[in-house]
Amino acid sequence: MALLTVRNLHARVAGKDILKGIDLEVRPGEVHAIMGPNGSGKSTLASVLAGRDGYEVTQGEVLFDGKPLLGLSPEERATSGVFLAFQYPVEIPGVGNLHFLRTALNAQRRVRGLEELDAMDFLQLAKEKSKLVQLDAAFMNRSVNEGFSGGEKKRNEIFQMAVLEPRLAILDETDSGLDIDALRTVAGGVNALRSPERGMVLITHYQRLLDYIVPDKVHVMAAGRIIRSGGRELALELEEKGYSWLGLQDGKTAAPKGGEARR
Amino acid sequence: MTPALAHYLDVASRFHAADASAPAWLRRVRSEGLAHLERQGLPTNRDEAWKYTRLAPLAEGMFLPPGEARAAGRSAAGAEGTFIPAGAGRSATGAEGTFIPAEAGRGAGRLATPAEGTFIPVGDARGTGALSAVVERLGLPGPRLVFVDGRLAPELSSVAGLPRGLTLKPLRDALREDGDLLESVLGQRALAGDSALTALNAALLEDGALLRLAPGTVSEVPVQLLFLTRGDSPVLASPRILVLAGESSEATLVETYAGVGAGATFTNAVTEVTLEDNASLHHYKLQAESDTAVHVSGLHVRQGRDSRFASHAFSFGGALSRNEVHSAFAGEGGDATLNGLYVGRGTQHLDNRTALDHAVPRCTSRELYKGVLDDQSRGTFHGLIRVRQDAQRTDSRQQNRNLLLSESAQADARPQLEILADDVKCAHGAAVGRLDAVALFYLRSRGIPRAEAERLLTYAFAREVVDAVPAGPVRDSVEGLLALKLPGAARREVRA
Ligand SMILES: Nc1ncnc2c1ncn2[C@@H]1O[C@H](COP(=O)(O)OP(=O)(O)OP(=O)(O)O)[C@@H](O)[C@H]1O
Ligand SMILES: [Mg+2]
Repeated sequence: MALLTVRNLHARVAGKDILKGIDLEVRPGEVHAIMGPNGSGKSTLASVLAGRDGYEVTQGEVLFDGKPLLGLSPEERATSGVFLAFQYPVEIPGVGNLHFLRTALNAQRRVRGLEELDAMDFLQLAKEKSKLVQLDAAFMNRSVNEGFSGGEKKRNEIFQMAVLEPRLAILDETDSGLDIDALRTVAGGVNALRSPERGMVLITHYQRLLDYIVPDKVHVMAAGRIIRSGGRELALELEEKGYSWLGLQDGKTAAPKGGEARR
Repeated sequence: MTPALAHYLDVASRFHAADASAPAWLRRVRSEGLAHLERQGLPTNRDEAWKYTRLAPLAEGMFLPPGEARAAGRSAAGAEGTFIPAGAGRSATGAEGTFIPAEAGRGAGRLATPAEGTFIPVGDARGTGALSAVVERLGLPGPRLVFVDGRLAPELSSVAGLPRGLTLKPLRDALREDGDLLESVLGQRALAGDSALTALNAALLEDGALLRLAPGTVSEVPVQLLFLTRGDSPVLASPRILVLAGESSEATLVETYAGVGAGATFTNAVTEVTLEDNASLHHYKLQAESDTAVHVSGLHVRQGRDSRFASHAFSFGGALSRNEVHSAFAGEGGDATLNGLYVGRGTQHLDNRTALDHAVPRCTSRELYKGVLDDQSRGTFHGLIRVRQDAQRTDSRQQNRNLLLSESAQADARPQLEILADDVKCAHGAAVGRLDAVALFYLRSRGIPRAEAERLLTYAFAREVVDAVPAGPVRDSVEGLLALKLPGAARREVRA
C-alpha cells in the first residue's frame, strides 16, 4: 500500500489558487524529488501536507497510510509520522533546542503509548543522532535555530528528523544555501535514514543534490501542477536544458503550454 | 463622599480610638494618615496615576482591619460567601456589612468566588496545619517573618541564622521599642500626602517589619517576609516594611504575598527603603494572592551615592493588583534595576506603576517590565523617568513588552519621560504582541500539542525576567509560582 497518496489536490492561499490538481503517490522505501520554478507551489504542497494554517483545500484528498490526512492537526500528523524539514527553519528565542526536541519526541511517544525518555536517556540519543549531521553539541543547548547560520539550520532540521524517525519526510530545499561539504554531510545524514519503511520527498532546485541522494522518481511542478514525472534521468535532462525545455520560461513562474495564464 | 470612603474613614477612626495607649508619635502618624485619606478620597479614574485602574472592587468589598475582620469572619464554612455592605445609607457606627451566601452574592453582582479563585491549592487553609504546609511551600531557607491576615504569626516565623549586623524585627515590637528611630524614618519615603493608599496604610498602621543593616554588613541569605491571607474574613491587611541599609551593606529581601483561600481580601502594603552610600539591596516581590484579592503595594526607595537597588516584581494573583515602585537618586553614581513580570488570566487587572527620579548626575537605571495576558485580563504599565536639570550623564533605559494570549486580553503601555538635563542617554520602548504563529506551527509540526507549544512560547517570552533572578531558592520559588499561572493543557481542557 502506498504511504502517501495525493489525489487531485487543489489549495488556495489568501484567496489565490496555488495548487491546481496535484497527484502523487509515494510508497514505503521510495525517494521522490520535486523540482520546479520559483513560485510553482512546491512549498505550498509541503505546507498543506504538514497542516499549516491559512491553506484552504478546495478539492481532492490526501491519504497517509491509507487514512485521510487533511482533517488532522499538525501535531497529529507529526505523531502519525509526517515530518517537514522547513525551507526556512524558524528561530525561537528562549526555547532551548534540546528541550524543544525532547518535548516533541516525548509528546509523540506519549500518544503512541511508549514510555517518555528522561533527560539523561534523551541526551544519549541526541548525541548519537547529532553525529549523523555533525552538529556541534554547542548548538543543542542554544535556543532553537537562534543565530544559527543557514547551513546550521538545515543540519538542525535533519538532526530533528533523525531523532523523530518519521515515516514520511518532506525536505523542502534542505540543500539550498549549503556549501559542498555541508551538502555532503546533510545528504549523508539523509541517506543514513533511508529505509524500506520510510518514504521521502525532496524538494530541490539542484540536480547536484540528486547526485548524492539518488531518487526513485522525479517530478516537475509548474503553476500548481505536476507537469512531468520520470526517473532520475529527468533531473539530468532538466539540468542540461533548463525549464524552457518543458515549455516554461527558465526560472520564472510561467504556466506550461496550453495551461491557463497565472493571475 | 462615597460609601467606600466613608467606610474606610469609619474603620480607621474606630481603629485609632481603640488603640489609645499607643505612643503619641504613632497616634500622630495614624491621625495624619486619616486626615490625608479624607482630604484625597479614594483614587478614581480621573486621577492621573489611576487612569487605567478602577478601584471599584475595593469600594465594593468594604474590607476590615485585622482585629475587626477576625471578629466578623465570613461564615463557618469558610470562604464560600461574599461580603457586601449593608447599604448606602449606613450609619457611622452601624453594621459593617451583611454576610450573604455565595449564590445570592453572585446574583447581586458582587465579587463572587470563582472556582479557580485559589491560587495556592491547599485544602482547608484555616487550620494551622494547613498554614504550615503553605509556609513550607512558599518559605525560603533562612530567616523569615510570617504574617497571617495582616498580623504576625510568631509560631510560623523564624529569625534563626540572622547574620551579625542585621536586625529583623516585627514592626509591632519596633513600634513600642524603637520609637525614636521609627518616628524619624516612618513616612519619610512614602508620603501619606502623596497617595490615598499610603494614607490608608498609615491610618491603620499596626504590623509589618523592620530590617536594619549596620554599616558594612553583608547578608548572603535572603530575608523573607511572607504575607498570607486566608480569605475566610474580609480582611484589609496594611503591612508597613522599613528597610534601613547602612553604608556599604548588602542584603536580599523577599516579600511573598499569597492567598490560601478563595474569599476576597485586601492587601495594602507600603515598603520604605533607605540605602546609604554604597549600599545594595536586592528586592523581590512575589505576589500570588488569590484571584479574588485586591492587592496594592508601594515600594519607595531613596538611594545614596553609589548605591545599587534591584527590584524584581512578580505579579501573578489578585482580581486587582497594583504594583508601584518609586526610586529616587539622592547621591551620584547610583544604579537601579526595575524588573517586573505580570501574568493575568480570567478578568484579572494587573497594574504597574514605576517612577525613577534622577535628581543627581551620573546615575544609571535599567527597567524591564513584561506582561502575559490571557482571557479578558488587562495589564497596564506606566513608567515615569524624571531627569532633573542637574542630572547630567544620566543613563536610563526602559522597556515594556506584552504578550496577549487571547482576543479579549488587553495591555496598555505608557512610558513617560521628563528630561530636563541635556547630556543624558535615555531610551524607552513599548510593544504589545501575540504568539508568533510561525513558531507555533514549527513546534506543532514536530508533534508538540498546541497547548504545550503555547506554553513553551509563553515561557520563552517570560523567562527573560525570571532569568534576571540569580539561580537559587528565590528563582525556584518564582518558577514554581509561574508554572501554576502559565496556560497549560489542564486548564485549556477545563475551559473548552
Ligand atoms: N501566505 C501566502 N499569501 C499569499 N501568497 C502566497 C502565500 N504563500 C504562498 N503564496 C504564493 O503561492 C505561490 C507558490 O509559493 P510556494 O512558496 O509554494 O512556491 P515554491 O514553489 O516553493 O517556490 P520557491 O522555489 O521559490 O521556494 C507563490 O506565488 C507565492 O507568492
Ligand atoms: Mg519553496
